[in-house]
Amino acid sequence: MYGWTGNILRIDLTTKTYKKESFSEEFAKKWVGGRGFALKILWDELKPGIDPLGPENKFIVALGPIAGIPAPNTGKAVVAAKSPITGGYGDGNIGTRVTEHLRKAGYDVLIVEGKASSPTYIYIEDDKVDFLPADEVWGKGTYATNDWIYAKYGKGVGVLNIGQGGENMVLYAVVRSLEGRAGGRPGMGAVMGSKKLKAIVVKGTKIIPVADPGQMKAIGTGDLKKVGAIDKQTGWSIQSTNGVLAWCNEVAALPVRNFRKTQHPDAWKIDGERLNAARIATYGCPNCTMRCGITIHDHEGRESELDYENIGLLGANLEIFDLDQVASLNYLCDDYGIDTMSAGCVLSFYADAIEHGATTGDFKFGDPERAKELLGRAARREGELGNLMADGSLRMARRFGHGSEAYAMQVKGLEVAAYNCKFIPGMALAFGTSPIGAHHKEAWVITFELKQTARESNGREKAAKVVELQRIRGGLFEYIVSCRFPWIELGWDLKNYAVYFNKATGLDWTLDDFWKVGDRIYALMKFFWAREIPGWDRTRDYPPMVWFDPANADKEGPIAGKILELDKYNELLDHFYDIRGWDKRGIPTKKTAESLGLDKEAGEVQKYTRLE
Amino acid sequence: MKITIKLIGPFIYAAGFSEKEFEAPRSATVESLLGLVGIERDRPKIVTRNGKAVGPLDELQDGDRVVISPLYSGG
Repeated sequence: MYGWTGNILRIDLTTKTYKKESFSEEFAKKWVGGRGFALKILWDELKPGIDPLGPENKFIVALGPIAGIPAPNTGKAVVAAKSPITGGYGDGNIGTRVTEHLRKAGYDVLIVEGKASSPTYIYIEDDKVDFLPADEVWGKGTYATNDWIYAKYGKGVGVLNIGQGGENMVLYAVVRSLEGRAGGRPGMGAVMGSKKLKAIVVKGTKIIPVADPGQMKAIGTGDLKKVGAIDKQTGWSIQSTNGVLAWCNEVAALPVRNFRKTQHPDAWKIDGERLNAARIATYGCPNCTMRCGITIHDHEGRESELDYENIGLLGANLEIFDLDQVASLNYLCDDYGIDTMSAGCVLSFYADAIEHGATTGDFKFGDPERAKELLGRAARREGELGNLMADGSLRMARRFGHGSEAYAMQVKGLEVAAYNCKFIPGMALAFGTSPIGAHHKEAWVITFELKQTARESNGREKAAKVVELQRIRGGLFEYIVSCRFPWIELGWDLKNYAVYFNKATGLDWTLDDFWKVGDRIYALMKFFWAREIPGWDRTRDYPPMVWFDPANADKEGPIAGKILELDKYNELLDHFYDIRGWDKRGIPTKKTAESLGLDKEAGEVQKYTRLE
Repeated sequence: MKITIKLIGPFIYAAGFSEKEFEAPRSATVESLLGLVGIERDRPKIVTRNGKAVGPLDELQDGDRVVISPLYSGG
């Protein structure tokens, strides 16, 4: 077997033991890597109904057959576990040197089980694993923790770590790496924290086995240069993702005031032009030649790395239009190790709930200093309010009542990314059907929707586009484990990824082979939900209800008086389920399961729900 | 007639401005406007007029705000 190392490193924190296991070629071909590996392992090994923050949950780092090999944007890893914020399968991808080091240590997958008796970090060096005390940095932020590790092992090692948010099991705590990178929005940092696992440090020195090393190197390194050249020619990374902010404001898709509004006259103050002008440095993931991380000085003079989602949700959505203050909020989230997107939605929901009389409090939109204080309280689970905010907007809404759940901006418990879909049906469908809760990484259809279709249409073509993009973005890029940006932002041909895969594995796959793997993964993610949640139904694939509320329609601008309609959304959802071969509840049918080679999994899920 | 052009992301640096008011002839189309700002015609892009997507042959009206953006994929 080439491409894959064929090995899993399984670590038990309770017993401080570890073992090397191998996986079969059949497993490798069926699930490929990353999200595919993590999902299948969690499906097989987790008992339904376990506490995501208990020792029974497993924290997984999963890589793919081209991960870590010099080729465009392969420096990513998937971190996964049962999610504490959604209760379903959860994962995220993160740019990290762990990818290359873990593969060079001889592993494609790391599984961490059990719970340490005291704060611990793991040091993996090739075949050896050390369990080491982390008391010195327990209670400290991710920046200090990272520095502490670098001081011990040098800057070249791979590091994944958590901050106070993960330690205190904030349900949207993330994993952090390389100081500016974060991954695992659905609480993957909280799962590490629940195991008292402060950090994972990896150093590998072996060679990653590929079928055709000469060609792999020549093509991979050559293509890295080509992608870099396209980026320079097009100028994409001058603003990187932050150009989106001005565009969303123009087309009425910006989240403003807890998504109540879609535009704001002060949006220009925090847009990509202002960010580029304030830039002090640019960072990227390993094997990246189109770096997207722009850092600026925050209000307190610290270096803070921003992208559009951060600015959209900690800035416009909170009506904070001072870029340095947005950078401060972003810095705090990064240091606490909590997701900037969920944090922005939690804060905006709190302000909105106060404004609508669902609760009492003294937080208002446009107040960065109070927002900073609240972030700290949430990260530390300080007091009743901090504890509540640490559980995310859905649980806050259920506590507040008074109909506030309608404007808790989340799907399946996970807060939505920075796109206001009150009149963008296809993107609302993308959020609704995202298998890990509302995440933009699975499918981003806004441009297609506005350019290629009528915005108000709820036609089958929009559902088809969501499925198509899920196959590529949530499928291919999440299981071969590579960044989607060269393809979607620079037009880098998808066929190149088949070339990398084939040169690494010695196989002869076409893109059609990849789509089937993606469909298999999406079906099993749905089975995971159906097994966890009795009586699963389609309402769990609905976006936030406020997007259907005519009283919430814009009063002016391009979509004045327009709002999503629930019956039409249901038509769109029917199209989506039909294309996927899922029933009206959104669960794959027996026939679909069989066609994807999921007969055994279908048998298992039928213990919990009937399959059509 | 007066048309305001707003450019997004890298187009700003290619054209040398972010937002500008142009004097355009009565029959001006979206395509003719693209020639004014020097963005390659074959470069993937989305053009909106007053917040709604338009095609290259759509005619413009006095006071229109035209936004030209690359095709983003989200943050």
